[in-house]
Amino acid sequence: MTPSIPQVRLTRQRYRAIVYGIAGVAVVALLAGIALDQHVLGAVVYLVGAWIGGGIAVLAPRWSDRTLQDERDYELHNRASGLLVGLAMGFGLSVLPVLYVLDAGGTVEITGIVSGVVITLSALFLLYGVCFGIVKRRT
Amino acid sequence: MQNNLSERRTDEGLSQGELAEVVDVTRQTINAIERDRYDPSLELALKLAIHFDCTVQDLFHLPPDDRPTPSSDTSSNETVGG
Repeated sequence: MTPSIPQVRLTRQRYRAIVYGIAGVAVVALLAGIALDQHVLGAVVYLVGAWIGGGIAVLAPRWSDRTLQDERDYELHNRASGLLVGLAMGFGLSVLPVLYVLDAGGTVEITGIVSGVVITLSALFLLYGVCFGIVKRRT
Repeated sequence: MQNNLSERRTDEGLSQGELAEVVDVTRQTINAIERDRYDPSLELALKLAIHFDCTVQDLFHLPPDDRPTPSSDTSSNETVGG
């Protein structure tokens, strides 16, 4: 008679704890690397954590026989993404043109950080447009 | 959208987790549907209807205020929304 090996089933709670736990360790390692002047070590731990955590997040729902994610999770992600883009677009369209006008008039000065925010938001909108086009073609 | 999923589930003596496993979603989704906080996809609504051996309209219905007014030239006598 062969001894039975207890199988650990991946529950939704365990799945989330693993993914968020690895992501948390990765972020803490990155910040600790900056604080302790161990940038390379922090970056390596972060990259390993990001890839392992991301891999588990994507692959576990496909391989597990348990339902780890379902249609409600996807809808929540869709709504959150829409809200993010909406807020960013509202901020971008309402504030940024004013900043450029005031900068041209010499009232305020657009610093490097603000330029970085503008470029990041522009890249986000561009990427959103590309992703929207891809999804639209496939639907 | 309103529903009587909770009553039907308890009538069958099923927990939310057991029903979730039957229709291949998470327990949280069944809970959200029962609390009218999430409207299921058509596929999930059909799966639930098949499990309870009823129609989708028997499980889910629109609140009276949200029901469309039937057009006057419609000859059908079907009721909408249960």
